Amino acid sequence: MDDRSFIAAQDFILDVKRFWTTEIYPALKADYENRTASFESVPDTSEEVEALIGSTTLYRFYAWLERHLQRLKYSGRYGLYPYHDGKRRELMASVAGIEIAADRLTLNPDLPIPEYYRKVDIHQHPGGIWRDEIAGFVYERGARSTTPLMGKAHKDLHQRFTSFVANQGTTPSHILDMGCGFGKSTRPFYETFKEAIVDAIDLSAPCLKVGAHEAGYCTKSTVRYRQMDALTTDYDDNTFDLVTSTMLIHELPPAEINQLFQEATRVLAPGGRMAHLDFHHVPNAFARFIHDGHARRNNEPFMSSWADIDPVALMAEKGLINIEIIPFQEADDVDPLNNPFWRFPWTIVYGEKAPA
Amino acid sequence: MSLAPELVDLAEQTFFEDPALDRAFGVVMALATEVYVLRNRQQALERLLEEAGVLDRAALDGEPSDQERRANADDRAEFTRALMISLLGKQQSQGAA
Repeated sequence: MDDRSFIAAQDFILDVKRFWTTEIYPALKADYENRTASFESVPDTSEEVEALIGSTTLYRFYAWLERHLQRLKYSGRYGLYPYHDGKRRELMASVAGIEIAADRLTLNPDLPIPEYYRKVDIHQHPGGIWRDEIAGFVYERGARSTTPLMGKAHKDLHQRFTSFVANQGTTPSHILDMGCGFGKSTRPFYETFKEAIVDAIDLSAPCLKVGAHEAGYCTKSTVRYRQMDALTTDYDDNTFDLVTSTMLIHELPPAEINQLFQEATRVLAPGGRMAHLDFHHVPNAFARFIHDGHARRNNEPFMSSWADIDPVALMAEKGLINIEIIPFQEADDVDPLNNPFWRFPWTIVYGEKAPA
Repeated sequence: MSLAPELVDLAEQTFFEDPALDRAFGVVMALATEVYVLRNRQQALERLLEEAGVLDRAALDGEPSDQERRANADDRAEFTRALMISLLGKQQSQGAA
């Protein structure tokens, strides 16, 4: 596949997604609001919303496009996967021997890969984000256009999250980024907190290689990528003064979410902070209907069960204090409480471990 | 060597009352993508040719002459017939319906 055709097709698919975001979603929302305008009380469950608009032609196309634009993006003729597959040799050459820099990357080929992770190819990424050696490159490219309205500013949301953390308290000296993927969330942390030691862990070796490769040429900070399960790390108790994750929690089943918070609390030092950026704030039945539908259509099997969990109760149960659940504004022109266009329900889940 | 997962019959999500429409719309979107890829390539080709002094854009954009239109007519009619013939439901080979 030639580069021009790939770019043209991906730009086209993204433009269709932009139309879906700014035209079809608002039309769907307006249709729902018109249908409920005369109701004494608006529906309060996702099922009631589905009964109202789930069979309309507009919703059927909305749903079809959400499912299939993602399929075309990843595995259509000009998809991310076949494009990178064709460049396999040069891509792998770019990270050849990267494991030798042990201070930058440590892989564990014997790490058990959990069933929930193996069973579903999340985001409709063929083979998942871990199975194929090129998966990190595919994921990195795909993540550049996850949020159609942000365009090239997509990375900004990670910087905004890091800025939130920076403004919440003292400068951390030892940071753990759980489920770091290819390091998109990690980079703003090691660039913002230059003196800190940053440990970034993930199940996916192909993603970690991409992250370590990027860190190798863009920073002199101490950042270490390690292949590890965030639920069962090998760190000692009280190791970090900041534990963070970005878009990790919604990929986990409920029991594993409980385990994640348990582990994050264990490795957090007294007085340390915990900040997770994920999707959680779905304030009404329509938003929940949209959210649940997205979960189904984008191969996100645990997104809905995470939305059912009360993070305040969960974190309080782990002994955390000063807990806050904050709708997150990922860009300047976005209203996280009532946006006219489709967006992810970005939410910061924040807590602190009581000082000793 | 490609390590891409094979295309297999996984559970299909369908959204229309008749799943045929789900699949047919997939064909439409695949074709639309091809059309845009071609359009983009043609625009690039025209730009490169113009920059090289090979292409006279005014001549390309101008209304075609009657002679050119006559020359195109047979080709266009054949294209149109091939596109529309399926609507008549005619068969060329004999056999059970």
